[in-house]
Amino acid sequence: MSETPAVVADLSRSPLPTRVTLRRRQNVVLQFVRFVRFDLRIMRMVAKGHR
Amino acid sequence: MARIVILGAGVSGHTAALHLKRLLGSRHTITVVSPNSKWNWIPSNIWVGVGEMEKKHVIFPLAPVYQRKGIDFRQAKGVAIRPYGDADDPRPAVDIEYTLPEKAGQTERLRYDYLVNATGPKLRFEATPGLGPDGHTVSVCTADHAVEANVKLRAVIEKLKAGIPQTLVVGTGHGTCTCEGAAFEYVFNVDHELRQAGVRDLARVVYLTNEAALGDFGVDGMIFDQQGFQTTSELWTGSLFRERGVEAILGTHVFQIDEGVIHFESLDGEKHMLDFDFAMLIPPFGGQPLTAYDRDGADITADMFAPSGFMKVDADYSPKPYEEWKAEDWPSTYLAPGFDNIFAVGIAFAPPHQISKPRKTPNGTVIAPSPPRTGMPSGVMGKTAALSIAGRLKNGKDTPAHTASMAQMGAACVASAGTGLTKGSAAAMTMLPVVPDYVRYPTGRDARETQGELGLHGHWVKLMLHYLFIYKAKALPGWQLIPE
Ligand SMILES: Cc1cc2nc3c(=O)[nH]c(=O)nc-3n(C[C@H](O)[C@H](O)[C@H](O)COP(=O)(O)OP(=O)(O)OC[C@H]3O[C@@H](n4cnc5c(N)ncnc54)[C@H](O)[C@@H]3O)c2cc1C
Repeated sequence: MSETPAVVADLSRSPLPTRVTLRRRQNVVLQFVRFVRFDLRIMRMVAKGHR
Repeated sequence: MARIVILGAGVSGHTAALHLKRLLGSRHTITVVSPNSKWNWIPSNIWVGVGEMEKKHVIFPLAPVYQRKGIDFRQAKGVAIRPYGDADDPRPAVDIEYTLPEKAGQTERLRYDYLVNATGPKLRFEATPGLGPDGHTVSVCTADHAVEANVKLRAVIEKLKAGIPQTLVVGTGHGTCTCEGAAFEYVFNVDHELRQAGVRDLARVVYLTNEAALGDFGVDGMIFDQQGFQTTSELWTGSLFRERGVEAILGTHVFQIDEGVIHFESLDGEKHMLDFDFAMLIPPFGGQPLTAYDRDGADITADMFAPSGFMKVDADYSPKPYEEWKAEDWPSTYLAPGFDNIFAVGIAFAPPHQISKPRKTPNGTVIAPSPPRTGMPSGVMGKTAALSIAGRLKNGKDTPAHTASMAQMGAACVASAGTGLTKGSAAAMTMLPVVPDYVRYPTGRDARETQGELGLHGHWVKLMLHYLFIYKAKALPGWQLIPE
C-alpha cells in the first residue's frame, strides 16, 4: 500500500478562549485562589481514595 | 529478624522502602536493589528536555539517604526470582547482578521473607525500528534522555532563528504506548519555548498520538462538570491545541522511523508519512526482564509474569470485551497469585486490560493506549505493600493485606504547558477514580473531584510537587506528612 501524507485532526470546532479567559488564566490573584482550591481538592481526593 | 527485599528505587519502590523503615525500625532488614545510583523525579524531566531546568535539579544520589535511614542499598539489578528457594535452601531468594562500578557483573543470591517488585518500565524503543536516542528520535523518559532532547531542540531553534522552517513532532512511538500525558506536556512546553525564542511562526508543531481522541490520556477521557455543564476532556484539550496552533494527528501506530520521516498507520488502516526535523516520541513500556524459577530450577516465568513482562497480581486477567470491563478487575493488594509474600507495585504490575477502548485497524494492527500508572497511584501502591508487610510482621502472617485499587484511588495529572513564575501555565487535572466505575458513578468518575483547569496556578502546583516530592524522597524531617 502506498503511503500518503498525514491527516491532521480538524479542530476548527474546538472552543477558543476569549481574551478575558486568557487574562484570567494569568491573573496572579485569581490564580492564587485556584491554586489553593486545587491543593485542597488533591488533599480531599487523597483522603477519599485511601479509604 | 525478617528480610524485605525491594527491587527498584523509583516512585513506588522508594516509597515502600521509606515507609517500611518508618514502620519497622531496626527490627528487620530492608534491602533495596536498584541499578541506578540516583533517584529521578521523572515528571520534571519535561523541563530538562526544554532547557528550563538542569539535570542536577531532578536527581540526587540514593546511597546517602539509605545510609542515613539504615536501609541496605545494593546498586544492582534483580535478574531472577526463586520464590520456592533452590536445591540448597527452601527460603525464597532473588538473584541480583551488581551495576555498582566496583562490583559490576558480580552476582549474589539474596534470601527474602518478603519481596516487592517495583522495577518500573522497560523502555521498549526496539518495538519500532528507528525509535529512540539510538535511532532518529529523542525521549524524555530519563534525565539523560531529556538532556539530549534539549540539545537537539536548541539546534532546531537555531535553524528557525536562521529563517529555516522546521517541523517538530511530539507524541507516541507505537500504537500501544502509555504516558500520553508526558507527550502532551512536552509538546506544549516546546510550543512555549518556541514562542519565547520568537520563532513560533516558522515552526510546524505536531502532536502525533495513539489516542483515538484528544484528551483520552489512556484513561478513556474524562467528563468534567464545568459551570453546571458536563464537558469532555476532548473538548477541553482541543481548545488548548487550537489556541496554541498545535496540530493533532490521532489514532496512530508508528511502525517505522527513518531519518526525518515517521511512517505510521492510522485507525482507518491507511499508511502515512510525516516529515520531521525534531521528534520526541515516547516508547511503549514493558516489564523489566525478570525470570522466575521453581526449586528444581524449572522456568516458571510465564506463570508469574504476563507476556508484556509485567508481574501478575490479584487482578482478574480473564479476557473480556471492553463492554464487560469492571472496576473489580483491577488489583487491590498487589500480591502475586499463590504467594503471600510477593508484591508488584507501580508500573511493574500487570494491568488486567487497558482503560481506554482498544481499537484495531482493518489490517489488524492494534492501536490501544496502555493504562497509565502515574506517580500518585504508584506511590500509594508502594505504601500499601509496606503497610501489608509491616502488619504481617507485627501481627502474624494471616493479617489481611491492605488494599488500594486504581478503581478507587484518584490521580492528579498536572501537565505543564510552559514555565515561568508569572508566565507559566499548566493543564491541571484531577480524576477520581483513575479506572472509571460506571456502577458507582454515572459518568464513571466522581464529578466533584474530576476536573480540569488551565492556568498559571497549574504551573505553581507542578513546581510545588517538584519540591515536595524531592524533599519527601530525600526523607528529610516530616517527609511522611507529605501524601503520596
Ligand atoms: C516523561 C515522563 C513524565 C511523567 N510525568 C508524570 C507526572 O507529571 N505526574 C505523574 O504522576 N506521573 C508522571 N509520570 C509517570 C511516573 O514517572 C511513573 O508513574 C512512576 O515513575 C512510576 O513509578 P515506578 O516506581 O513504578 O517506576 P519508576 O519510577 O520508573 O522506578 C523503577 C525503578 O526500578 C529500577 N529498576 C529497573 N530495573 C530493575 C531491576 N531489574 N532490578 C531492580 N530495580 C530495577 C529503576 O532503576 C528505578 O529505580 C511521568 C513519566 C514520564 C516517563
